[in-house]
Amino acid sequence: MSSNKPLTVFLAITLALTMSGCISARIEDAREETTGLNANESVVVMAKSYHQGNETEAKYISCVESALGRGKGALRVIPTQQFIDNLFPWFEPRTAPADTKGLTTLMSKPGVPGAVKDMGVRYIIWLDGDTDRVTQGGSLSCAAGPGGGGCFGFAWWQDDADYEASIWDLQDAEASGTVTADYSGTSFLPALVIPIPLIARTRAKACNGLANQLKLFIVSDEAV
Amino acid sequence: MIATKLIKQGFIICALFLAACAANVTVENPTIPKPHIDSLPMVVALRIPGEFHNFVHEENVLGKESWTINLGSANALFFEQLFGFMFDDVIILGPDDNALEHTFDALVEPEIEGFEFSVPNQSKTDAFAVWIRYRIEVYDSAGNSASAWTVSAYGKSQKEGLGGSRSLQRAAVLAMRDAAALILLQMNKATKIASLDGAPIKLTRDDPSTIVEVDVETLQNSPVGIFAIGGIDDEFK
Repeated sequence: MSSNKPLTVFLAITLALTMSGCISARIEDAREETTGLNANESVVVMAKSYHQGNETEAKYISCVESALGRGKGALRVIPTQQFIDNLFPWFEPRTAPADTKGLTTLMSKPGVPGAVKDMGVRYIIWLDGDTDRVTQGGSLSCAAGPGGGGCFGFAWWQDDADYEASIWDLQDAEASGTVTADYSGTSFLPALVIPIPLIARTRAKACNGLANQLKLFIVSDEAV
Repeated sequence: MIATKLIKQGFIICALFLAACAANVTVENPTIPKPHIDSLPMVVALRIPGEFHNFVHEENVLGKESWTINLGSANALFFEQLFGFMFDDVIILGPDDNALEHTFDALVEPEIEGFEFSVPNQSKTDAFAVWIRYRIEVYDSAGNSASAWTVSAYGKSQKEGLGGSRSLQRAAVLAMRDAAALILLQMNKATKIASLDGAPIKLTRDDPSTIVEVDVETLQNSPVGIFAIGGIDDEFK
């Protein structure tokens, strides 16, 4: 009987790790121009300015940056801070171009086209959006005493991750298109002595989903 | 004996609770990257006020916590570096130095007019925000007041980790970079400092018409797309 205990614990942990909450996803893209990326060209991921009310999480930006640079069809990604510093003061939250008209003006500034060329940046990916907890419910209580402790109850919550990536082509100073990712995930936390978290990693899934679609969008030679 | 021990333990527990409610953040001298702008061919004297070397601001969130931000000499280094990029030659003056002992085209005296920050408990968001308002006085080579400009800068950083000290530090650095960007791109337009190159203004210092007051809001139609932001007063009304 006691020899089965480690196996039971192992199975319980494996079950908890492999099971997760439910996630529904929708990814769409809207192409405005033909794209493509040469071997020596790179992309940079930026958050839209907080002066425009954008709340995109720094963790999400670094996640997309990292996901674009690894796996199948990986792109060359220039770190965001390096790009901002090399083009100071033109990509600070207050001064970054809000549209491609501003980009045309910016690319005519002395030293800017040279700095962009030196870094090999072909596309800027502007991220907008965030992950919000839209609803939650249930109840869970835990107690502990000298003889041990435990939890009982059931809690759940739903997170919505809505992000939009606008792709700007620096070579032609024009917008190439947008990719949107709408993910909705519900997490559950049932507890009968031991809580079993069934977590929906909504933001992480939205990050990987958006990054994979961005890779396809940028390298695709699909005509408009 | 037992009572003494209990009192000692009580003090330790109280001290731990108090420490948990107070946070000290020190901003280590932030650096500005070399900007892509052409420097102005003039000699500018920059008077660094005493407070730029030891600026400390404390904010008490009523009944909750106390935050202290220590900018140390970050402001002094920030302005020295910034003006070094903006002008061909910069003379650094201390608060008591006699400017008339030097030859220059313009004298600039910055000061901190306001400093505020908000923490997530106050703003009910996940972000720390810092507002800095600098007032920049410009004088000609004869000491006549030429213009005064108020720069409202803003930095925001989302909370990371348990304490949030690093986030507040980052928000302060972002606010200083925001000020740097605005000063680099708009100072000449706002203060007409380039017109003081070798030529003192004609009017005397006593004449109030010599002072040109410019605020950032008047510059929002700039072709470089500067965002005008609400100042400290607007945010805390």
